[in-house]
Amino acid sequence: MNITGMLNGSKLLNYVGFPTSEVLGPEASEDDIKGMIERHGSVFIKPLFKGGVGKKGKSGLIGRAEDLKTALREKERLYFAEHVHGNTRVKAQGVTFEGAVPAEHEVYFSISDSTRFRAPTITITHKGGVDIEELDPSEIVEVPFEALTGLKAFVIANALSDIGAPKEIVSPLVQYLPRLWELFHHYGMTTLELNPIRMKPGPGGRLIPVACDFKCGFDRDDPRWQRLNLPNHLFAADYSDFEQEINQLRTYQGQSDVYVINDQGTVLAPTFGGGANSAVTEALGDRAIISSDFGGNPPYEKMRDVARISFKHWLAQSNVLFIIGGKSNNTDIETTFRAMADALRDYFNQHGPVPLYVVIGRGGPNLIRGMGAFKDTLDALGLPYRMFGFDSAMSEVVNYALHADDWMRNGGREQVAKKLGIAA
Amino acid sequence: MYQQGVGDFKYFVGIHTLEQIATRDDRVCVLNILGGESSAVTPVSHAFSGGNVVFGTAPGKRGQVLKTPAGEVPVYNNVREGLDAGHDFNTGVVYLPPSGVRDGVAELIRVNPRLRKVIIITEKVAVHDAREIRAMAQQAGVDVFGANCLGVADAWNRVRIGGALGGDAPDESLLQGSVAVYSNSGNFTTTIAQYLATEGWGTTTSVSSGKDVYIHFALPEFAYALSNDRRSRAAVVYIEPGGYYEHSLEFTKPVVACVVGRWKAKLTRAVGHAGALAGSGDDAQAKEKWFQQTFGVDEIFTPDNPVVSPRGAVVTNIAHIPLALTRVMELNNRAPDFAPRGDLSLKPWFGDNRGLELPPELDLPVQEAIAPYNHQIAALARQIGRSFPRRPMKDASGVSQMDPTSQITRLHNQSILDSATRPLESNLCQALTGEHNGDNDNILTNVAIAGYLNLHGDSMIAAADAAREAGNAPNVVLSSALAMLGPKRIETARQGVDTLIDLFAQAGLEDARDEDFDLSGIAISDEQAALFCGDKPDPRAEAMLRAIRARGGRSVFLHFIELCDRPLSRDGVLAAIAATLAWGPLMRKRISRTTVRSLPWYLRVYASLIGASADGRRHQPDSYCGVDNEELLNRWSVGEMAYLSLMGERGDDASLYAFQVLTGLLTSNGPGSISAQGCKGAVSSDGPETPQRVQINKAMIGFLSHTGFSHGGAGYEGITFLVDRFRETGLSDAGDAGHGLDLDAMACDYAAQYRQAKQAAKDAGAGRIGAIAGINHPVFKDKPVNRDPREVFIARLFADRDDYNVFHEYYKKLVKALFQTGATRNVFCVNIDGVISALLLKMLWPRFRAGTLDEQALEVAAFTIFLYGRMIGCAAEIDDHINRGKNMDTRTPASRLEMVS
Repeated sequence: MNITGMLNGSKLLNYVGFPTSEVLGPEASEDDIKGMIERHGSVFIKPLFKGGVGKKGKSGLIGRAEDLKTALREKERLYFAEHVHGNTRVKAQGVTFEGAVPAEHEVYFSISDSTRFRAPTITITHKGGVDIEELDPSEIVEVPFEALTGLKAFVIANALSDIGAPKEIVSPLVQYLPRLWELFHHYGMTTLELNPIRMKPGPGGRLIPVACDFKCGFDRDDPRWQRLNLPNHLFAADYSDFEQEINQLRTYQGQSDVYVINDQGTVLAPTFGGGANSAVTEALGDRAIISSDFGGNPPYEKMRDVARISFKHWLAQSNVLFIIGGKSNNTDIETTFRAMADALRDYFNQHGPVPLYVVIGRGGPNLIRGMGAFKDTLDALGLPYRMFGFDSAMSEVVNYALHADDWMRNGGREQVAKKLGIAA
Repeated sequence: MYQQGVGDFKYFVGIHTLEQIATRDDRVCVLNILGGESSAVTPVSHAFSGGNVVFGTAPGKRGQVLKTPAGEVPVYNNVREGLDAGHDFNTGVVYLPPSGVRDGVAELIRVNPRLRKVIIITEKVAVHDAREIRAMAQQAGVDVFGANCLGVADAWNRVRIGGALGGDAPDESLLQGSVAVYSNSGNFTTTIAQYLATEGWGTTTSVSSGKDVYIHFALPEFAYALSNDRRSRAAVVYIEPGGYYEHSLEFTKPVVACVVGRWKAKLTRAVGHAGALAGSGDDAQAKEKWFQQTFGVDEIFTPDNPVVSPRGAVVTNIAHIPLALTRVMELNNRAPDFAPRGDLSLKPWFGDNRGLELPPELDLPVQEAIAPYNHQIAALARQIGRSFPRRPMKDASGVSQMDPTSQITRLHNQSILDSATRPLESNLCQALTGEHNGDNDNILTNVAIAGYLNLHGDSMIAAADAAREAGNAPNVVLSSALAMLGPKRIETARQGVDTLIDLFAQAGLEDARDEDFDLSGIAISDEQAALFCGDKPDPRAEAMLRAIRARGGRSVFLHFIELCDRPLSRDGVLAAIAATLAWGPLMRKRISRTTVRSLPWYLRVYASLIGASADGRRHQPDSYCGVDNEELLNRWSVGEMAYLSLMGERGDDASLYAFQVLTGLLTSNGPGSISAQGCKGAVSSDGPETPQRVQINKAMIGFLSHTGFSHGGAGYEGITFLVDRFRETGLSDAGDAGHGLDLDAMACDYAAQYRQAKQAAKDAGAGRIGAIAGINHPVFKDKPVNRDPREVFIARLFADRDDYNVFHEYYKKLVKALFQTGATRNVFCVNIDGVISALLLKMLWPRFRAGTLDEQALEVAAFTIFLYGRMIGCAAEIDDHINRGKNMDTRTPASRLEMVS
């Protein structure tokens, strides 16, 4: 749940009275753009990406224009620009026009929670506007502060002293930057980054910090972000249809976290526990369709719904249904297994049988009753299976599931289908 | 601001040695102690730890207690009340929902100055709150474990605090030894302990750290406390990506670090553990390097490449931890704590190849599980039928569900549209067995119903007639009959079914139709035989038996009881039929033994409801509604018998098909329908937790009493509407497409009248006029042309049979005409009630035209056919509630009630 760019960033900054560059959205008319150029001398044209996307400047995805014709040409170039960022490829959905802010100083500023200091921490440099990784460590400072007291002016003042910031920028930054704590802490953010903040001369020559780019991330376990009344579509791109359906079931009773690893995968692995999730997804690699953590003792109804949605989206393409977790401490195996078995039976009733090999590895309360419920269902559905207790190494059980997938890929699927009296 | 604790940390740490994390001296207060998770986990922890929980809190529940094997734990509204009552504690455990965690920690810290440790179990605590929790705890000098953890445990002290480390059997995992465990994964904390035992290593202190963004008691503090722990000679740590908690660490004792999650570098958001998402430079690969540098190794340990140093080893597979530890400890001249226990090789506990030829790596033989699981598996093999967990079943059902989008209800996950295409006798059984009948099942069901349809001389028909004569509606009439079908009248048959299950389940019978099954090993006592036999011949039993044979029906149970060499009783035959019908689903654990035991009662209820809908004069010694008893037994289906009861004649194919469709469609509208609520309330009040005491006939009366002219009369309203439209048309055959009527003109005329009436009512300020029965629906209403999917299905069904219905056709033209004349804003749908009315009126039209059926009789017929259909769905709800429900679970709490004036 990230937001980048000034189109939405300026609205958030306005909540706390932090000055921003002037920004127009993709719907801006030619008159609007012309007016902006007249007011600011030039405009930046930036592609509009949903979610958290960085390094646009380095990829040549920021245009600058001093006349309308150039602005429109840049708009055409960037409107549907594609950008590869880390492991994700994103496509722009329009552009923004941002008035240029003349300034001598550019400041980088961020707030996040540091695991080194175990406290909210600011990072600041007066040599911003570039990737801060490129700066000499002496030019940047990280300063933790106490969450209950909040980000106070003295924290900023001390930090700027530490890096020898020019004196003309100290007072305005000390005045304005603490406001960002309000935005960060009270609206459920986990990161907030402004880069650059351009120090624009104001009336009487006093500098005013103006945010010219914006990034933030929200904590999806914190409902405070909903106070901002942000449009839902801002975060829609983060999730596939499957993930969105599962997320609707997300409550504090059980994780129900999912991530689509490979929508062409052939092993559907409902996984229980964060540890199992890490261990199993790694071993399955691209064979895994989803990475999931359905642990946390989900009640029957929720588990059945989670399984129903998972099966609806992925069972038809799966070779192996692989249910895996360690020896659970509080997740009731009977409840969760019965729910998944019932969902599997329902799927077969509604959509007809699917050739599957079922592999289960689990331990925990009511284990045998849970395995028994699954056994009865698999016997009724006519599917081949193996169930392992917690005395078989989880990694070996994963390997068994991979062998089952290999076999299914090499003629096994046809054999199972024949047994079921259906086409593979 | 922080208090300076132990060591030279730049933040407060209070734990000097691992021994202090979970001790026998710790006294614990649990917040939200009566919550779902705590009430399951805390009793085990309390008992395992020698009774260390002094009290718990749950606002508004002061005075309650949490029962545990080590005695009751008192509950107070808040922490202050507990302290005021004289309790003292140094450790708080938080089971509150995420939004309450921060305030709970604040309460513990502010109210109890002697607090030293807090353990937060809750998942999904906001980072915002974690920040503030950290700050509060640092100010107060309190160590925090979690959030999103499973607590801490100590195998030496036999203490676990907080979560469920070791599940419901902590002794299985917490084996005393020399290795401390620290894990980002709660589950792996004890999974690792289990794995270590395979190399002979036990544990000292186990810490489930959680893996949120904030880990308050993290690896640096653990490493410090490990150094000072006289018991721990080594440690195992399980680490995931994200955060710098493991950077630049110094250990004074050997450590095996398991770092998992390289693949997580691909993720753009966390799955499972909120903090397990790397930023820059803290992914799994980076962490592997950090540990390698700490231990002085340059590769990952695997069994094939056992790279270790005296300081430790790095693994990426938790199964490699035990061997890596052994190798590291060998370099430190340390032997394992005890002889290895078990091994981690693949050992399937359950498996089936389905006759497929599997490659050797898949074709692993099933092995006997370790104790006590092997005993449980053996017991499972002996268990007959399914057992359901009990829960409150108010407004809930395990058998029916209405899809709010399509309004189509599913019963045992089968659409009622499908039910509409199945014979009535199959639907009757499917409601209870969850599976549709095969041919043999249909034969047995038809005979069972025919055997009990004729109520001549029975008090049931006398009661029904008396109720009828008093002017009651059909539901009351049928209720009166059912009141006479109490448990005493069915007890023998129920015991008979029970006995057959006992005798045959252990004998390994799979197919109840298998009359060649070897009966030689099944012995029946005289007492048991008396359940199936009488002293003298029972003509009805003999007739039923003859009918089954005449129809080609098979039943190993009938075959078995026939060998008793005494005259069979009708109860015996009914028990054998019921056992045969239910055997497959019972053995497949699809249904419970409770259901099967009650099946004879349901069959008799079905038969009595159908029979009592015909008045007493039609029940003669040798015939029913003019049809010879033998004829019914030998040839008729339940659908034909029900039609006969209602219409007094044998239906033709078209009428019988329409009748079947109608009863199928009316089966169920889900657990929220009034009829379902009535029968569920009746079960709830009897107490499903003692299922043998639930009066199934009374539950059916509950269903019947919750039907009426509104709920059950919708079909009649449509009939009245259609009769008014067609009364004067001279229509003779509603199934003849060449009827000669100008339906378009009729529809337009009525639409114009309706529009005028609507306008007049509006002009007069009289508000809206009544809706037209059979059209429009609150769900299917906003498209330019609306269709009720159930109506679409039925229309297609009958079109495929070339089965024309003039009334249905008229409805379809009427909705168009209403739109065209401006009476409606779009083309309304013909709803399911319209379809039912059209089908029903077509069936009744010849008798109505002939004057042998007046309007009251029409209404009775419409209502009764509704009851026929709905008794199926309600039987399913009754059985479901008996199996899953709790006593008095349909009550509404006083807090949800409204007072109106």
